[in-house]
Amino acid sequence: MEKQDLKGKIIAHYQEYLLLNGENPASVYAFCKELEIDEAQFYEYFSDFDQIAAQFWSHLFESNLARLSETEEWSDFSSREKFLSFYFSFFENLKSHRSYANLILKQVNIAKPKGASELEAFKKQFKNWSKEIIAEGQMKDEIAGRSKFNDLYDDLFWIQCLFLLDFWRKDRSPGFESTDEAIEKSVNLSFDLIEKNALDSAFDFGKFIFQNR
Amino acid sequence: MKEQDKIYSSRSQRTGKFIKTGAKVGANYLKHFSKKLVTGESNEQELQEQNAEDIYNALSNLKGSALKVAQMLSMDQGLLPQAYTDKFAQAQYSAPPLSYPLVVKTFQQYFKASPLDIFDEFSRQSLAAASIGQVHRAKKGELDLAVKIQYPGVANSISSDLKMVRPVVGAMFNISQAEMSHYLGEVEGRLMEETDYNLELERGMKICEACADIDGLVFPKYYPELSAERILTMDWLEGLHLDQFLKTNPDQETRNRIGQIIWDFYDFQIHNLREVHADPHPGNFLFREDGSVGVIDFGCVKILPEDFYHRYFQIMRPAISEEKDEFLNLLFELEFLLKSDSPEEVDHFSDIYAEILSLLGKPFFSDEFDFADKSYFQKIYALSDIYQNDKMVKKAKAARGPKDSIYLNRTYFGLYNMLHMLEAKIETRSAVDKLFLEEDPIT
Repeated sequence: MEKQDLKGKIIAHYQEYLLLNGENPASVYAFCKELEIDEAQFYEYFSDFDQIAAQFWSHLFESNLARLSETEEWSDFSSREKFLSFYFSFFENLKSHRSYANLILKQVNIAKPKGASELEAFKKQFKNWSKEIIAEGQMKDEIAGRSKFNDLYDDLFWIQCLFLLDFWRKDRSPGFESTDEAIEKSVNLSFDLIEKNALDSAFDFGKFIFQNR
Repeated sequence: MKEQDKIYSSRSQRTGKFIKTGAKVGANYLKHFSKKLVTGESNEQELQEQNAEDIYNALSNLKGSALKVAQMLSMDQGLLPQAYTDKFAQAQYSAPPLSYPLVVKTFQQYFKASPLDIFDEFSRQSLAAASIGQVHRAKKGELDLAVKIQYPGVANSISSDLKMVRPVVGAMFNISQAEMSHYLGEVEGRLMEETDYNLELERGMKICEACADIDGLVFPKYYPELSAERILTMDWLEGLHLDQFLKTNPDQETRNRIGQIIWDFYDFQIHNLREVHADPHPGNFLFREDGSVGVIDFGCVKILPEDFYHRYFQIMRPAISEEKDEFLNLLFELEFLLKSDSPEEVDHFSDIYAEILSLLGKPFFSDEFDFADKSYFQKIYALSDIYQNDKMVKKAKAARGPKDSIYLNRTYFGLYNMLHMLEAKIETRSAVDKLFLEEDPIT
């Protein structure tokens, strides 16, 4: 059996198992027996079931970004538009895996996802990407440079991402239109906050008065 | 146009906005009366303008159905003084747009492709705002297109928006709760229809086809294969909006001709199709260089039921109020008078309605009518003031008049208003004349 095929097969089978049974297989051994492969073959790709779920999220993330960066408009989007596009297409793709994603999200307890190994890889990728976009935005002067606070931005965007995932999980509107609205509004809000605004001017003015008293 | 930074989203936020406006309007009154107290002068007009300004500012931040309700109220005859109407006429032009990525997302959802996959060119910024959507311009081959995209969640928010609007708007415009409910039920139905672009496409195509023979009218061609529930693609029509057109100082002949085109268009729809483009406000018409008139936006179409249609125009007959029995009969049938009314009320209300009807029907009673006549419109506004301040009207708990008339009244009111702005002299000989001659066709 070809190597790539086997990896894909494991992922597909695991997803199906989870969807049908609502929980992880009893053991890797049982899982492999059902699939008629050696346990060793399983461990070549994954250390446990969580890793398969982790793979799901990072794959979704990567393919989403790859697709977006292929579109004509991507390179001249502002940071705000990049985040918006990212979320819109991310959730659009997620739609076709909704049952599976919901199962994982439920297990993860998204409100307090500390130590959720399923989302760890995704989190790292997402935060790195956010940092890139934020740096780009600062260079183009779309986002205000606020020395120490800058390091917090990627964390804040990750929290926003989790919030949106949770919102989507609970969304019952037709076509998940409410999630679209949530994305539009929350991204706009966060960018209104990190763009140069009254806060920066106020701070600047305060500093000036303090120095020139 | 600057993109919208924030949309007042949750109900409490939006209601908050309304309450703030209420307070501001209150403050305007306070200012007005204290000025009156000090100087002994009062300027009613100024006060109304200030109120309109504040209310309008609040509503334009709301978007969606609340904005729609404001527009409706501004159009419905007899509800609003001139100042409000002027201000609300602008509403169509200025709701702020949504982000481009959301537009792309909407395309992905319905066509599994982005706008640039479908069109050769597509404007990133929206060029105009409709109350529940926005318009982008696109090119595909030879075609120059307007693509209307609806905001997400509009259909969902309509009934909650209307519930929220009810008490506050009722108070602001001095409309009783009973009248509000009566009104909003019908409005909700039409608004829901308006969110379905498939329906708009179908109706637009139908009316355009039926009216294709009327000289001087231009309709956009619709493209079903490029449209979906929340996307509507049609030809891009060039042309000026009414206010821009008026700035070019068209001569009287041109005004009359153009006014006549619009009048004939409505006459044909109402009397031949019995289906009417019930949104005749200036934003939906384009005045073109070659002297033709472009008609866009078939979101709001009112279908006139047979019974209602006959009664409505029977009661518009000249001098109907002199045929006492027949007149009262019709008033009861149309629910302007209610079975529960006391004889006093019947007398009082039938007098009021006789006055209103003879005034509103006036353009029909002669071969020609000059809509430039300011005194005529002042009389209408004055009448609505009298009606609103009438003690018995205020006391009456039930709403009066048939539900179906709300949109037909709105249509006529919008039409009169536009012709007034155009200052056009119209030959009002219409299909309705035949109806006036008919001998009581419904009994």
